[in-house]
Amino acid sequence: MELQLQNLSKQYGEKRAVQRLNARLTPGVYGLLGANGAGKTTLMRMICGLLKPTSGAILLNEAAMEELGEQYYTHLGYMPQDFGFYPEFTGREFMLYMAAVKGLDKKRAKSRSQKLFSMVNLQEAADKKIKTYSGGMKQRLGIAQAVLNNPAILILDEPTAGLDPKERVSFRNLISQLSRNRIVILSTHIVSDVSCIADTILMMKQGRLLLQEPMDTVTDSIRGKVWEVLVSERQAVEYSRRFPIVNLHHEKGKVRLRMVSETMPAAEGRAAEPDLEDLFLYHFGNQTQEEMEDVDPI
Amino acid sequence: MLIQYELLKLLRKKFTLILMAVSLALTAFLFGLPVMQYQIYDENGVIKGMEGIRYEKEQAVKLPTFLTEEYIAKTVHQVQGLFQNPHNVGYDGNEQFLIGEAYWKYIAPRENLLNTIAKAYDNPGEHSGYNKLADIDAAEGAKFYQAAESKREALLEDPARRMTAQQKAYWSSMAAKVSTPLKYGYYQGWETLISSFELLMFAILSICIVIAPVFAGEYQAGTDALILPAKYGKTKLVTAKIRSAFLFGALAFTLHIIIAFGILLTTFGTDGWELPLQAANMTIPYDFTFLQAALAGLGVLYLILFAAISLTLLLSSKMKTPYLVLPVLAAVLFVPMFLTPDGTTGIYNQLLFLLPYRAAMPELGKYISYQFGSLVLDAFAARTFLYVILTVIMLPFARRSFKKHQAA
Ligand SMILES: Nc1ncnc2c1ncn2[C@@H]1O[C@H](COP(=O)(O)OP(=O)(O)OP(=O)(O)O)[C@@H](O)[C@H]1O
Ligand SMILES: [Mg+2]
Repeated sequence: MELQLQNLSKQYGEKRAVQRLNARLTPGVYGLLGANGAGKTTLMRMICGLLKPTSGAILLNEAAMEELGEQYYTHLGYMPQDFGFYPEFTGREFMLYMAAVKGLDKKRAKSRSQKLFSMVNLQEAADKKIKTYSGGMKQRLGIAQAVLNNPAILILDEPTAGLDPKERVSFRNLISQLSRNRIVILSTHIVSDVSCIADTILMMKQGRLLLQEPMDTVTDSIRGKVWEVLVSERQAVEYSRRFPIVNLHHEKGKVRLRMVSETMPAAEGRAAEPDLEDLFLYHFGNQTQEEMEDVDPI
Repeated sequence: MLIQYELLKLLRKKFTLILMAVSLALTAFLFGLPVMQYQIYDENGVIKGMEGIRYEKEQAVKLPTFLTEEYIAKTVHQVQGLFQNPHNVGYDGNEQFLIGEAYWKYIAPRENLLNTIAKAYDNPGEHSGYNKLADIDAAEGAKFYQAAESKREALLEDPARRMTAQQKAYWSSMAAKVSTPLKYGYYQGWETLISSFELLMFAILSICIVIAPVFAGEYQAGTDALILPAKYGKTKLVTAKIRSAFLFGALAFTLHIIIAFGILLTTFGTDGWELPLQAANMTIPYDFTFLQAALAGLGVLYLILFAAISLTLLLSSKMKTPYLVLPVLAAVLFVPMFLTPDGTTGIYNQLLFLLPYRAAMPELGKYISYQFGSLVLDAFAARTFLYVILTVIMLPFARRSFKKHQAA
């Protein structure tokens, strides 16, 4: 199974949401990282046939998706970033309906949805109307419908958004259980969501694929560029203006800063082992810095 | 399988049930009105509603079964005899009429019949009552059927109608098939029914409102992103959606029909279903019984419904929310109600008689015909063609625009 993206572009009027994107994806978990507006959702919607690419092609095993038609969609499972349900349906009715749209026969639809209900821990709520579900329950129903047809390609667009930390952990485990032998593309801007389950990291910035690296080697490019310093609060403000700050920790009147920089930022700096978060910040530093200052003004 | 779920989506909404209940109640009210407002007079005054209907049916027992020339001649002579006695005659400065026992005993119980007879002797444009019979020269028989035919010919020849030779021939040969002597009897229920078809346009509108979310509802709810990338999302599901819309529409409309016609036919009775339309008016050219005419009208009504459903689906597939479908649909279905025909010829009138609201009215005696080359179509045929074509051509566009919908 190989999913190939060839020179894929999408333009909304003047706005280039995805630009000449190329990739060959084989089974494995792909963590798709990118800041808000990087084009992750646009890319995924094109793969799902919901948006028509302005140019370029999507191929499954060398065959164009438009030509495959139903054949292509048989292999697809999609959990959108924003989606709705039929509030008057029960969870079970919804699953059986989706199973029918996905072409499962009645018997398989029943057994498969029963199995998935217990997997996503919704067996108790299965016969309640969806309008009574909490956000987390809807999210779990969303992933359950995505894998109903046992898809070879599973597209998850920010599946953990809006979940509390406990649910987020169990959701991550669920995804990793569901990921075997499939092409899974999981988008997020929360690095910790993918750092333990992704095999490959895809990073998008302003519509372009910035980087496609195996998880083990992805941070190699910034090895030796991550630093930690212990400074006074006044100095911390100074540093945060000049460098992308990954982390900051108050320690007895002083502040421990973790930052990414080509060269050692200060004599007292200490090189640190790079992780995915550092990498993300290295690439999206300017954008995220403002957000951090908003949250925690020093 | 998919159809079941699509129907379930429609039926689970409280809105659907409420709107259908309201629409059924409105239909029951509209079709109950002719019953509640029915009135007939005897010498003691007015008799209203069900009581009036019962009274009229009692009187109808005495009606003749066939309108033979002899019967008509006898009747005309009888009326003329009544007019010869000055004690029986009143005058309102304009025309003469019968009063007292002469009216109540000899005219009132069969006034519809006498009107039908009298109208056959009218010139085009006249609308006479029974008192017309006093002026007919019936010394050598009433020549009723001959008079009716002359009137029909005069109507067809009327220059204002601008009929082509083919159209005249079309109507004349149709009318020639009507067999004589005419069967007569009580037909109040069917006449009321045939003249009330357009009241069912409200039912059609309500049904279309229920169906409006079939596609747009998915866009609005954000479920389009789930179903479109599923295997059958752009193929069988679309078919199921279209089928379920038609199935729902047909069933819901049939329910309305049962209520509407049920009310009329249980109160006025089903009597008269086998009578020819000419019992009501000799100028009607159709060789139909009341039942056949009702079924033909009903057929057209279903086709209007189907075309309206097709249009609704097309709008639904194109618009972001179902709410936008309503104003367009209401305009299409009801604007023609405010346009009045100024005749039966000319593009304006000819089109008007094909538009949804007008097309619901059978217009049996108006000789509305359409000519394409040498082919002449009457209103029923033209409407059938038009609405079948509209139903069929809009669906592929609806299908296409749902498939191509950019879920953004
Ligand atoms: N329908 C649209 N019309 C115009 N511009 C759009 C439309 N959809 C998205 N965009 C723009 O395209 C860019 C990419 O959007 P996209 O939703 O793909 O980003 P994203 O990476 O998924 O962001 P997020 O992390 O916020 O979900 C953004 O700049 C967005 O404003
Ligand atoms: Mg997104």
